[in-house]
Parts: sequence; C-alpha cells; structure tokens
Amino acid sequence: MVAIIAGGKHLSEAKPGMAGVVSHYVDDQAGSKLMSMGVLPGSHVIVVRKAPFGGGWYVKVDNFYLALRKEEAASIVLQ
Amino acid sequence: MEDGTRQITRPFTVALLGNPNCGKSSVFNQLTGLRQKVGNFPGVTVDKKLGKTALPDNTEVQIVDFPGTYSFYPTSLDERIVVQTLSNPFDENYPDAAVYIADVTRLEKHLLLLTQLRDLGVPVILALNMADVADREGVEADIASLSRGLEVPVVKLSGRTGFGIEGLKRELQRLHSELSFKKPPPLFYTPDEAILATAEAAREIVPGANLYQGLLVAHHYAWLPFLTDAQRRLVADIIQRNRFEPLRSQVDETMQRYDRFTPIVRRAIRTPLPAGRRVTDRLDELLTHSVAGPVIFFALMLLIFQAIYTWATYPMDLIEAFFGLAGTLVQENLPQSWFSGLLTDGILAGLGGILVFIPQIAILFFLVSLLEEIGYMARAAYMFDRLMQYFGLNGRSIVALISGGACAIPAIMSTRTIGNWRERLITILVTPLISCSARIPVYTVLIGFVVPPKIVGGLFNLQGLAFMGLYLLGLAAALLSALVFKWILKTREHSYLMLELPEYRVPVMRNVLLTVWEKVRSFVWEAGRIIMAISIVLWVLASYGPKADMDAARQQALVQAREQQLGETETENLIAARRIEASYAGHIGKFIEPAIRPLGFDWKIGIALVTSFAAREVFVGTMATIYSIGSADDEYSVRDRMAQERNPITGKPAYTLAASLSLLIFYVFAMQCMSTLAVVRRETKSWKWPLVQFAYMSGLAYLGSLLTYQLLA
Repeated sequence: MVAIIAGGKHLSEAKPGMAGVVSHYVDDQAGSKLMSMGVLPGSHVIVVRKAPFGGGWYVKVDNFYLALRKEEAASIVLQ
Repeated sequence: MEDGTRQITRPFTVALLGNPNCGKSSVFNQLTGLRQKVGNFPGVTVDKKLGKTALPDNTEVQIVDFPGTYSFYPTSLDERIVVQTLSNPFDENYPDAAVYIADVTRLEKHLLLLTQLRDLGVPVILALNMADVADREGVEADIASLSRGLEVPVVKLSGRTGFGIEGLKRELQRLHSELSFKKPPPLFYTPDEAILATAEAAREIVPGANLYQGLLVAHHYAWLPFLTDAQRRLVADIIQRNRFEPLRSQVDETMQRYDRFTPIVRRAIRTPLPAGRRVTDRLDELLTHSVAGPVIFFALMLLIFQAIYTWATYPMDLIEAFFGLAGTLVQENLPQSWFSGLLTDGILAGLGGILVFIPQIAILFFLVSLLEEIGYMARAAYMFDRLMQYFGLNGRSIVALISGGACAIPAIMSTRTIGNWRERLITILVTPLISCSARIPVYTVLIGFVVPPKIVGGLFNLQGLAFMGLYLLGLAAALLSALVFKWILKTREHSYLMLELPEYRVPVMRNVLLTVWEKVRSFVWEAGRIIMAISIVLWVLASYGPKADMDAARQQALVQAREQQLGETETENLIAARRIEASYAGHIGKFIEPAIRPLGFDWKIGIALVTSFAAREVFVGTMATIYSIGSADDEYSVRDRMAQERNPITGKPAYTLAASLSLLIFYVFAMQCMSTLAVVRRETKSWKWPLVQFAYMSGLAYLGSLLTYQLLA
C-alpha cells in the first residue's frame, strides 16, 4: 500500500513511494507551467524515486511520468 | 493580406502541432519522407521543418512542423515561436489549417493545446496517434463521440506503422474544399466578464484578430514581436484599466478547458491499465537507479566512442583507398599541368577529406538518435540535472554536450529547449570544448602517431582509450569553464526541469535514418563547401608564390642536391619542399612561426592552423596538400607522410612526441571553427558572445599547448 502524505504538505517533503493529491501551487510561474503540462489541482501524484547526485524527483502524475527539481516539487501543495 | 491572395501566392499550408512526445515527427516523416528540408523561423534559429505531400486529388500541400508545445503560455523559446506565429494572422508561416497530433493512450493530458488552437479559428483535424499501441493495449476510441464533443474532425493513425496516413490526407482534402465557406465552431473556452473585456479591447488593437487572439495578445504583449511600440502601450493601458491579472486568467482558462474536455475524453476513450508502462517501470528501476543508472550511462557512452573508432575504420579505409587510386589514375592519364595539379591536389584531396568523415558522423548520429527515439535521453537529462545545475547548466544540457561530440553546430542549436537564458548561454559557450567529429581526423592522425595500436585488457584498443582520454579532457574543460561562467553571469530568470519521461518505445528506424541522412547531408553541404573551397585556395597558395622566390628556391635546391649527391627522386622531393617553403603559404606559415615556436610547431603546422580556422578538419586536408606537393609520391596518407617527415637540419623525425601532444592539446581547446562562431552569433543575436568564446578558447589552447610542449620537450 502506498503511504498517503498528510494534507497541506509540499510534494518535496514526500519520500519515494508516497502518494497525494495536488491542491494548489506556491509559486505562480512554476504552477502555470505545471498546469500546462497537465499537473492540475486534483491530480494524483506518486513519488516513484529520486535521482542520483541528490537530484530531482521522478513523479507519476495521473497516468504520466515527470521529472521535477526539488524546488519544482516544493511548489506543489497537496490536499 | 486577404485569404484570396494568400492562396494564390503559396500552396495550401498545414501546420503540424502537438505536445512533446506525441510522435509528431514520426507523422511528419510518414507524410513527407525525403521531401523535407530544415529552415529557420524568421529572426530566430528555431528549426522549421518544411515538407511536401500530395492529397488524393493531387493538391500539393506544404507541411510546417512546429516545435512540440504544451500550451499557448510558453516557457521556452520553442514554445514562443508557436505562439507568435499562430497569434498573428499576417505571419508568413500562419497556416491555412492544422493537424493536431495527440497520443491516444494519454489523451486526457494532450488536449489543452488542441482546444486553444481551435479557439484561434484555425481549421484543425485531431489525429489520434499511436493507434498501433492503442490496439495492442486494448484502448478503445469512439471517434464520432470525440469529434462531436470537441467539434473538430478526428482521425486515427500511427506514425510508426503508417496506418491511417491516407485517411488523414482524405480528411485534409475535405477540409481544403470547405476552407472558403466553413465557419469556425464557437469558442471552446468562455471567459468571464473581466477577462472578456480585456480580450475584446486587445482584439481591437490587432487588425484581423479574433477574441482568443486578443486574449493571447493581452497575455504576451511584452514580447510578441509583431506588435509596434504604440500597440504595446495601448495594450498596457487596457490591462491597467481592466485590472487584468494574467496568472488568474491563465488558471481560469486552463481549468475550464480541462473541465470541459475531460468528460468528453472519458466518454470516448476506454483505457485498461497500460501494460507498456510496467515494462518501462521495470527498466527505469535499473536505468535511473542512483548507482546503476549513471554507470550504465557512461558504459553506453564508452560503447559509442569505441564504435565510432572501430566500426568507422572499414568504410574510411575504403574511401581513402578510393581517392588514393583516383589520384594515381589522374596523374598517370593526364599530362602534367596546372589542371592535373588542381584536380589531384585541390579537388580530389578536398573531396576525399569531406567524404572520409561520413562514416563517423553517421555512426554517432545513428546511436544518439536511437537513444533519443527509445526515450533514454530524457532519463539522462533527469539523472544529470542536479549535477549540471552545479555547473550552471540544465539537465537538458547533457544532450547538447553529447551531441557536441559529433558537431557543435547542431548541439548549439539543440539548446533551444533550455528555457533559461543563462543556462542556455553557458551551454552554448562551453559546448565547442567537447571534442567534435571535426577533431577526429586531427586526433586520428596524431594519436596514430604517438600511441601504438595495442590491445589492452583483451578488449580495448589503446588508441581508442587515448581517444577517449582526449574527449574526457574536453569534457573537463567544458565543465570547468561552465563553472567560471556560472560565477560571472548573473540572471533573475527562472529555470525549470519539468521534463516528461515518456514510455520506452521500440525505435522507428525511419526516424533514426532520416536524422542520420539530415546530419550527413548538412555536413557534406555546409561544412563540405568550406572544406572544398579552402582545399582549392590552399592548392593555389601552396603552388604559387612570388616568382623570384620560387626560382631562387629551385636553384638553391639544385645546388644543395649536387653537394649532397642526391638521387633523382630525392632531388625532386627537395625541390618540391623548397618551393612550398617559398610559396605564399610558406610565407604565411613563416610569418606566424615565432608565435607558435614555443608550442613546438613549425611553419607547416602554422599554415594548417591558419587554414583550419575555417574548420578543424581542414588541418588534415592542409597537411595532405602541403605534403602531396612537397613529395613526389602523394598517394601516401597524411599519417605515413608525417612519420617520414624529417627535420631538414637534424635528420630526426620532425613530429616528436612533445610536438604531437602539444598539437593535440591545441586542437582539444581551440575554437578552430568559423561555422560554430557564426551559429553562436545567430543563437545569441550578438557578436559579443562568439567573440568572448573565441578569446577564452584560444587562450586556453595556447596555454595548454605551451605547458605541454615546455614540460615534455
């Protein structure tokens, strides 16, 4: 079973294997780009893994996969 | 311009649009095959792929392949091009109609741009791509329902297999015949009153714009290039008066579009759990693993370089042998004259020097575009983003740095997908330090010279390893320079990774081969022309000189030959060597010799350094010309001839270990490529950056060579 991340947390606080639902964005510009790509309020996200060299987030959003930087993951607030 | 005149002055023009990873280029290749060419959008260097195809009734159609785009709210230069072209009905690339390619297995995420495109009033056909994958995975699409809901014609096709391409052409023909009278459907998006007021007012400022174009102008007026300053001021006034909030408006629009098309898609598409993704998941557990991932990546790169070095040898030997034979044939069958000299030492030498690199370029691009097709390059960008960030670069820079291994020119052009100007600029500035294919001939000649062809560890050719070492040196120089530029250049602009990781797919060979064809063709035509021209100019410079000098050189050589009691062939060689020393080329080489003497270079290398400013590969052609003129038996390859070269005073080999290594180091660092500088000028829109680049790279090269030679000699 995937662990559900507590509400109000940022995606960047999630550990690999954790899941949540997008609520809103902290950073307007990042939010605008995320929405264009299909990461919408209400989208289901799962953190699949993290990149080597302390790098980015490998995230599943609904039915597609996305690579996000830590700051980009931090701009997503979960329900 | 009125619609009538546009139709008379140009063919029916169809734009190909879609999200990145929707398989758009496969469809483009299916439609146009080899009837395609690459140009630029005006004012910028974003690739514009143009192709031709014919409809069932033989109507000629021009297809314009636009860059992959997520929405009309752009975050990269590529996406801006799409917005600026489609929001301006007077743009020369404004299409008569559009084909929107969407991945049917992920339709819910691929329709935002379609509904925006539809609202511009461009007649559009929705093409559901990946029909073959959809069939395999049991995805069912109700086309009639989708078409009714979205109010656009819908077709199913597969860019991989070619299924449905004829159906798309039939639909385009129908669209073409209805063009003059069909009214566009009502807007998909209904703005609220505040947004509507702004859009209506902005629309008045741009003649011919519809409501949605007006809204886009209100969003993007600050950078849209077709607006005049007066128009910009008017839009700014409107925005202030209506208290227009761009981000709120965008959120409102995006959410409303999704809310409207999501139920339409859910009604029309039935998707079981995709099986393909489970394969991708399992592959990615290994390929993006924090330890195994980078190890596999570097193993792949090592494999690529060994492949270039080993596989390419066979066709290269064949090409060299062919031109050697052709040279002999010409010399044996034509009378000795300036014409036979031009033919063998100018034209044939130049042609051989161009064609011999095709195998390496083809192999490298074959492998790189294979990895791109499979979907691996996105993983490489994901894995190395953090590392690249450390050097002020972007995860996507790794693709440019790797492509730079073939040629800096396409690599620099590939930086367009990097949205952040500073990361893009740094990538552009350091990419030419990555050893490109044009350095391969120089490396090949000199490594063959200083490194024995031994097999070590039962697997690796020692020369191959030396080759790899030079590549790593270039890479290290690139990263360290990037670090310095990161420290010097400052910006406030945002930088993003946000990269889609598509499913791994079996590559479409057609796409890979078309890429290889395009790269080889552009090398032969663009770099090749420079090489050929220089080869001929050089033949002139090396064959002619001030008359008095040339005559004196001949007399001197004859005197010396008599004193040393040389045989006939040796006398001929000596005359030839003295004559080239007295030629125009020799004069130039000698003029710069004092500056390059501390690096271990003589005037012959001096000539080659000057001519290879045009393109590095010219070095070998220059040496070939110098030596084929300097010797009676010019069928020897450059490497053999250089090994024979003796210092005229000491009688020892002229190219010592120290001098050869110094030359190698010089070519690793030096910005010896006019074409790259020209591309950088175009990409950065100023002479400042190519000049900065030229200065810092030349400085590095001189210092590196100086240190190498002085330490070893």
